[in-house]
Amino acid sequence: MMFDPVLMIALPLLAAFLIPVINRFSKAIPKYIPVVVIGFNLYESIMLLPYSMVKPVIVIIAGWQPPLGINLTIGPLGNILALMISLVGFVVAIYNIKFVTEEPTEKYYMLFLLIITGATGVVLTGDLFNMFVFLEITSISAYALTAFIRDRNGAEAAFKYLLIGGIASTMILLGIAIIYTYTGTLNLADIAQKMQYVDPKIALAAMVLLIVGFGVEAELFPLNGWAPDAYSQAPTPVGAVFGGIVVKAGVYGLARMIYTIFNFEGVFYFLMIMGLITLLMAEMSAMRQSQIKRMLAFSSIGQMGLVFIAFGLATQRGVEGALFQMLNHALLKPLLFLSAGYLVYYSGSKNIEDLDGMGRRKPFLAFFFAFGAFAIMGLPPLNGFWSKMIIISETIRNGFVIVAAFVLAGSVIEAVYYLRVVGRLYFKKHDDNQQEKYVHGSAIFAMSILVILAIVIGLYPDLVMQYLKPAAEELVNKSLYIQSVFAIN
Amino acid sequence: MVYYIASLSLILIGLYGVLVKKNLIKIVLSLSLINAGIHILLIAIGYIDGRTAPIFSTPELRPEQMVDPVPQALVLTAIVIGLAITALALTIVIRLYDHHKTLDVSKIRELKW
Repeated sequence: MMFDPVLMIALPLLAAFLIPVINRFSKAIPKYIPVVVIGFNLYESIMLLPYSMVKPVIVIIAGWQPPLGINLTIGPLGNILALMISLVGFVVAIYNIKFVTEEPTEKYYMLFLLIITGATGVVLTGDLFNMFVFLEITSISAYALTAFIRDRNGAEAAFKYLLIGGIASTMILLGIAIIYTYTGTLNLADIAQKMQYVDPKIALAAMVLLIVGFGVEAELFPLNGWAPDAYSQAPTPVGAVFGGIVVKAGVYGLARMIYTIFNFEGVFYFLMIMGLITLLMAEMSAMRQSQIKRMLAFSSIGQMGLVFIAFGLATQRGVEGALFQMLNHALLKPLLFLSAGYLVYYSGSKNIEDLDGMGRRKPFLAFFFAFGAFAIMGLPPLNGFWSKMIIISETIRNGFVIVAAFVLAGSVIEAVYYLRVVGRLYFKKHDDNQQEKYVHGSAIFAMSILVILAIVIGLYPDLVMQYLKPAAEELVNKSLYIQSVFAIN
Repeated sequence: MVYYIASLSLILIGLYGVLVKKNLIKIVLSLSLINAGIHILLIAIGYIDGRTAPIFSTPELRPEQMVDPVPQALVLTAIVIGLAITALALTIVIRLYDHHKTLDVSKIRELKW
């Protein structure tokens, strides 16, 4: 049974604002609300999949036809990203049940649901201004969650993030103002159609503003200075949410702008070069981090660099690789963050040196972390291998051999710093007696979901590729997108 | 034309403030200034001299006598977003002041790469 797709946005929004009310009656209920609501989102996005794969599902809101009113355009791409977002959200929601103890917990759940609302809205909407509003919902909740732990560094990280995010949002608004002046419409498909009549110089100005705006959330170099601080100072599940949800919304926005709305050839080279710089800069910074969450944050930036390189190829196969890499990142980075959260909780320190010998004392957790590390490095039977292989082989096939060489070098650096941590977990002795704490069952369950999905995708990559093909086609062939929106009239 | 110049100069003053000022409150104010500048720009795009709001209360009002209402709807939304960002920024500034006892941004730098 399928419900109205608008509920995927409306329900989390409603639930988010009901949480403080419910909390007045019962303190126990709010922690289960995200599980139920995001579970519904997950169910709905799976049920939508067979429909959106055939042709984009257009949801008309309040009876206004596409170019005039705001509508949801759920193509294969939007649907897959919505599925990714609700999957990560669902896993993190289960993990949250026992892990979040810092007061006020109900506000945490409220902000968490708002992030889900915003990110789902960004990927589903077919209206440029609506996309901006949803991106702001996502990022404002993300600023607040960064400052959730009330220590000095949390506030500093949040202010940095807010400042760069605030300027980015004004850039997007300015870009929208320029686009609206020259096309007189805000519908994405309509803009894409009318963009060819706009003076290229003006289109270029608008594109630069929008790339800067979305680039901040997408962690594009040099706009990613907020990321390491925000990831490491926010509560650990929020790090997983940043890597798995907020960044995905930003990357989707960026890809939608450069592929569907504008048609400049040169921007793809720009994206590839920036992606390469992002990758190398992040991997080298991750190498010299002493805190595990900062290391994971830099690794997350590096993975996004790889995604940008693949998007920069602008070929069908390259975009498939980029989407596959995004999917793998959405599965593995939360796994790493969630297991690292418990490792930090047990050792009582954020430093990598204090994790020695965890493999003996906490075999489950150390296994989850090691599994995530191996998969993200791209060890052959696991899912990270396939996406990396597609990206690198496609890079070589298009003649960018030097880029491929740098990507491989980046992967080697990545392997070094992950293996360093895994080695410490298993091969170092640590006989300092700490008090025994147990891993919560809900967290084990949450992480097992991610591990099982990673193994299944690793063994049967074609299972996912058949869904990624139409999604990549939606980006590469933009007339397909335009036609499907206007075919409804 | 004067609206375009005014809005662009507001945006530039705001950008200058965000980049140069050291006081946290002044940075937040400059952020609001950029926002205000863009709001005026958006309104100016929709404004045409001598026309009126598209409210169909008088039947003799024809479409060519009206201004474009969409930018005003956009600005209304954008003002709310700007307000949310400013309010959140100020709460974070209060917390930063509690911890560091200073508003000078160059003295608050414990997090580094």
